[in-house]
Amino acid sequence: MNVTPRSRSAIVMFLLLISFVLMVQPLVAQDEVTEFVFAHSGPIRTMDAPVTWFGSTHWLTNGLYDCLIWRAADGNGYVGQAAERWENVDDVTWRFYLREGLTFQNGEVLDADAVKWNIDRVRTREDFLVYPQWQFIDEVTVIDPLTVEITTKTPYPYFEYDVSFNGCQILPPDYLTEVGEEEFARTPIGSGPYRLVEFTESDRYVFEAWDGYWAGPPAVDRVIYQVIPEQSAQVAALLAGQVDMIAAVPAPDRDLVSGTEGLSLLTETSNRMTSLYLRVETETGSVAATYPDFVPATLDNNVRLAISHAIDRDLLAEIQGSAHARLARVCDYYPEGSVSDLADPEFISSWYNPDLARQLLAEAGYADGTGPTVYLDAPNFQFGNEREVAEVLSVMLAEVGFTVELNTLDTSAYSEQIVSGGNNRDIMMTTLGCSPSLVPSFYRCAWVQSNYNVCVEEWDALGGEIAQTVDPTARLELWEQWWATYLDYAQTITLYEIDSVIGFNSAEFEWTPRKDGWFTFRDLRPAG
Amino acid sequence: MRGLIVRRLFHMVITLFFVSLVVFFMVRLRGDPISVMAPPTFSEEQIANLRAAWGFDRPLVEQYVLFITRAVTGDFGQSIQARRPAMELVLERLGNTWLLASAAALLGVVIALPLGIVSAVRRNSLLDLVSSAFASLGNAMPNFWLGLMLIIIFSVNLRILPAFGALEPAAIIMPAVTLAVGTAARLSRMTRSAILEVLNQDYIRTAYSKGVSQRVVLYQHALRNALIPIVTVFGLQLGWLLGGSVIVESVFSWPGLGRLMIESINVRDITVVQAGLLWFSLSFLLINFVIDLLYVYLDPRIHYR
Repeated sequence: MNVTPRSRSAIVMFLLLISFVLMVQPLVAQDEVTEFVFAHSGPIRTMDAPVTWFGSTHWLTNGLYDCLIWRAADGNGYVGQAAERWENVDDVTWRFYLREGLTFQNGEVLDADAVKWNIDRVRTREDFLVYPQWQFIDEVTVIDPLTVEITTKTPYPYFEYDVSFNGCQILPPDYLTEVGEEEFARTPIGSGPYRLVEFTESDRYVFEAWDGYWAGPPAVDRVIYQVIPEQSAQVAALLAGQVDMIAAVPAPDRDLVSGTEGLSLLTETSNRMTSLYLRVETETGSVAATYPDFVPATLDNNVRLAISHAIDRDLLAEIQGSAHARLARVCDYYPEGSVSDLADPEFISSWYNPDLARQLLAEAGYADGTGPTVYLDAPNFQFGNEREVAEVLSVMLAEVGFTVELNTLDTSAYSEQIVSGGNNRDIMMTTLGCSPSLVPSFYRCAWVQSNYNVCVEEWDALGGEIAQTVDPTARLELWEQWWATYLDYAQTITLYEIDSVIGFNSAEFEWTPRKDGWFTFRDLRPAG
Repeated sequence: MRGLIVRRLFHMVITLFFVSLVVFFMVRLRGDPISVMAPPTFSEEQIANLRAAWGFDRPLVEQYVLFITRAVTGDFGQSIQARRPAMELVLERLGNTWLLASAAALLGVVIALPLGIVSAVRRNSLLDLVSSAFASLGNAMPNFWLGLMLIIIFSVNLRILPAFGALEPAAIIMPAVTLAVGTAARLSRMTRSAILEVLNQDYIRTAYSKGVSQRVVLYQHALRNALIPIVTVFGLQLGWLLGGSVIVESVFSWPGLGRLMIESINVRDITVVQAGLLWFSLSFLLINFVIDLLYVYLDPRIHYR
């Protein structure tokens, strides 16, 4: 057969076209199971959730493992998971009654021994990042196969909060012992509503509904966590219909997402608070070695208060892109974060008082608008427009007389050099979670962090009292006093609470964001 | 030839040793990973305990000796974050990176060689002008931008290609094209100039004067003699593709070694960073090794002493 060059080219082109169609074809194939794909930036590095502190890992493993109890989605109390009910026997003893017939996904029995094994694991392994959080426990006692008692070292009001936080996941002891931690990280087994059926480390995790779950299988058959590092690529994947949800829609893309048929924006608090941390001593961190003769202006309480009153928090929250102004470092859906007027928008706005700031500076010895020089460190980008926030903040401080030396760094460098490196001179701006159980401990004399130590004897005693007052009413009264010192001492100046702006496929699914900012999908349902 | 191979392998071992030194000390320049790994709730004492538990409190030299003696057996230690062997994580991703780099290199060659040859043969023609414009554009376009544009066109608007991942064969098309454009641009210019240089040689004129057809002159005489500089640039490009895939892997969420490196650097998972960088270096050295052997094959006049 005589094949001309033109015919040969045509055949090659045809074969290429066929190959292309075959490659593309799976895209249009329809799957009958309901499948939900959540894209986020990661990282996710282990399935052995208790060893890590990364929130994204805990979101991911939430469907795989049950805890004893779990925080209600609306922030209002707790719900039982492995525990059917629980009671506070006395100030230091909590008793949990497990559900009957619980098993892990491999058939191993989940009983009181398994619970004790898991809690003992997280409170004794010093190489686990959750280890410090579990030190409030003195002893775990198995009463019978369905009853377990936990004794705390002292009366501990935040017991339920901490026992349902990072490290609470119940892992199968026999299986983990048999295969070892390394193999378990590859082939994890839990007792939650979803089984992990396939994963590529820190890339894609496929979960399938488990029929044997005590509450019945979840409403959506498959949940996939897909790591997409680039935000713009996340948005494109959402618009292309290849993912069903992204955790953070950048401000410039919000109109585009909300204007796309079938997609909507969900806004909810992210459980993250941005604050300024002011240096009140020069001993902690590497700052003394780096700037040996430097005397921070912020050692003066009046200077710190002047900074606090010079800031228009509402404006900063607007510049951040998705946030609301706050004065307290505990989120306002916890009762502790909204005592007195702390969460009242009018009260927050009234705190902005440039005249008072100038007056305080004058009292500190800086009259006639010639305030001190302060050094402000901030990340370029962490959760929004941090650099722009820091720039406007500098202008606000300059308006009342401060000279501001602003230093912005890339986030990872900022974290290493300033936050964790303890090399901050005057003021650092950073974003942290807002746990009511932890916040008072940061202001205890014995709690030396990498960057600063705060030690005010009366405040320290108040923090200690809060940590041991089980009665909620009495505890909130103590919190009221605690917050008064927080505002007056002004070592931490809270600016705003960050909101998550989520892109969601509302045409096919129904889901309500959790108040604690966690992305978990036990309650996800197909639309309608 | 055997002597050449032995010498080159010996050089590779020496180079890898120095790379290991640089990698080990560079990743520790900004402190140990515990400072980033520990949550902000950790006190100084707890951080010190954690540092001791991972062995980062030992003298650096002692840490290096431990690292290198284990590394020669393929043991790079446990990933601090994943709690799995660092080498295992790297090997899981290495294949994808090689696949992407190879596809991009192949695509680059398929585009560049004909384009370069035609540009050289038809110098100053419209085709040469178009080829030149493509080369300038291909060199100038940042690959993350090109990648995003491709996603918008083929995933968002046309909906015919997946925007991320490596779940199906079609997923490699956009990242490979993104990487190949720059390679094709550089390689086509190199091919053009190498062919032009050869075409001006006396033996080419002799071949023409003997009545040999242009096709035979071009493919049997000119191209073979022009291949040495082209192969050199191709080798460098392949190395660049391995390293340059870092950004493209992030844009397309391609589960390769580059993305793993970025994530590991961000969370200071230094065992993974060390293993990954050494594998990148070894890949680059292997490419150079193969290129060196190719020189001998392409031009028998070349001898290595």
